[in-house]
Amino acid sequence: MSSSKKEQSPEPPSLIQLLPEDIIIDILSRVRWCDYRTLSLVSKHFRSLVASHELYARRSLLGCTVRRLYVALSNRETTSHNPYILCLEANDNHRLVLIPWPTHVPHVGSFVTVGWKLYAFDMLNRYHHLPIPSIDCRFQTVHLVHCMNATMDVSVAGVIDGKIYVTGYTKIPWDTSAKMVMAVFNTETQIWETATETMIGRPYGCVVMAGKMYTRDGRNSFVYDPKESKWETDKRLNMFKWQGGCVVDDVLYYFDNRGGKVLRAYNPRKSSWVVVKGLERLVAEGRFSESYYTGSCDGKLVLFLSKDRMTKGIRCAQISLERRHHQGRSEIWGKIDWCDDVFFRSDDLFVTKTLDVIL
Amino acid sequence: MSESNKKISLISSEGEAFEVSEAVAREFEIVAHMLEDGCSGSSIPITTVDSNILGKVIEYCTKHVEVGNVEGNSEKAEKDLEEFDKRFIAVEMNTLFSLILAANYLNVKGLLNIGCQKVADTIKDMKPEEVRSIFNIENDYTPAEEEVVRKENEWAFQP
Repeated sequence: MSSSKKEQSPEPPSLIQLLPEDIIIDILSRVRWCDYRTLSLVSKHFRSLVASHELYARRSLLGCTVRRLYVALSNRETTSHNPYILCLEANDNHRLVLIPWPTHVPHVGSFVTVGWKLYAFDMLNRYHHLPIPSIDCRFQTVHLVHCMNATMDVSVAGVIDGKIYVTGYTKIPWDTSAKMVMAVFNTETQIWETATETMIGRPYGCVVMAGKMYTRDGRNSFVYDPKESKWETDKRLNMFKWQGGCVVDDVLYYFDNRGGKVLRAYNPRKSSWVVVKGLERLVAEGRFSESYYTGSCDGKLVLFLSKDRMTKGIRCAQISLERRHHQGRSEIWGKIDWCDDVFFRSDDLFVTKTLDVIL
Repeated sequence: MSESNKKISLISSEGEAFEVSEAVAREFEIVAHMLEDGCSGSSIPITTVDSNILGKVIEYCTKHVEVGNVEGNSEKAEKDLEEFDKRFIAVEMNTLFSLILAANYLNVKGLLNIGCQKVADTIKDMKPEEVRSIFNIENDYTPAEEEVVRKENEWAFQP
């Protein structure tokens, strides 16, 4: 139909064809992120535009960035690990969606994000000693960065001011001559800086608060100050065997599954622990949960819990946090923004890691 | 004050002259540069913009210069200007594209901004075929290719 029309009278070029690509990108970068699902179906040209570097650059200039939560699920039976993202469905229900994972990027190890870049450190790096893959989460492309300047199996990693602090054992942990070392990768220069020995044992987790890195081994909790290149023990932090924690506004949160099932918060400025209030109902509902995980995304806390032993599946709640003062005491109150069943499957899966990615 | 008294003629593609104050003409960055480069002539040809669109761009710039000159009560003025922008940009698609093209050529940043935003707001809830029709784009996907993109979008671009 359109071809016969063309034969009769050549149409003037449409105005969109006269618009410079720069302007089209400007228009597209002002559209909501979720609309790219539709816009990528308009034409091949549109699809290439919504997946272009220029578009992302313009979006960040306009302050239109989106946050996306990557979630690693582990299967208790098969011990496999798979990557998911937390999505909002059309029916306003959140769910976890399996995403393709680039080949040659490890599924198990330590993962950190710097903006849209996800760095994956192989847990068995000592054996493989390969270049470190980083995924550009905007385009799902993989770039390789130099091999580490230290031989180690990576245990934990944290990011402070654009530098990744990676710690791990030089040998198998039960070898008496094994040492825990730390290597530092500068993401701006893409260069590994000096590697040093540390005083910590096998770490159970790692968080960054107010420019310092906190970790815990079987005995102690530690704090590393990169400005002074110094490790110290933190006795107050060590009051609880925190694990799988996350940080919101420089406060550590973790779900205490042993001591009474509560969400605990540690403020390093005050060196004090509090129990987050206002979540009693959520905690009571999830009392049969076998696993808990706290993650953070865009200044909010995201709590994952398994539904119960019988039905499996994963429930997730996004929680806004508010600091209050009551009778001279600091309190932290949580308010549930939403709580959804995000994963339905009979397999016994649980969350092992979440990553807040900025696109 | 003396600057805003000086008049400049902007000539549209049809040769029609629009007499504006220098302050308004300077809102066109392209004109401002010409004036700074020592172009002292009182009439400046704007060969790629027709009278209809040039008139509209001048209307936009005049309003913004006027509001910019009013002192005090800035909050109300800003609100009024927002209202003006909203009404001004509520035009049919072809005019909107012409305004964007003109704003881009003449380098009127504010107008370019609201123009692009207006298009973005218009297409945000549209179906692919609706977007194609307003942009006059042909669908160059085969059904199979389209299916691949749909499949990928199950996780890409998820909110």
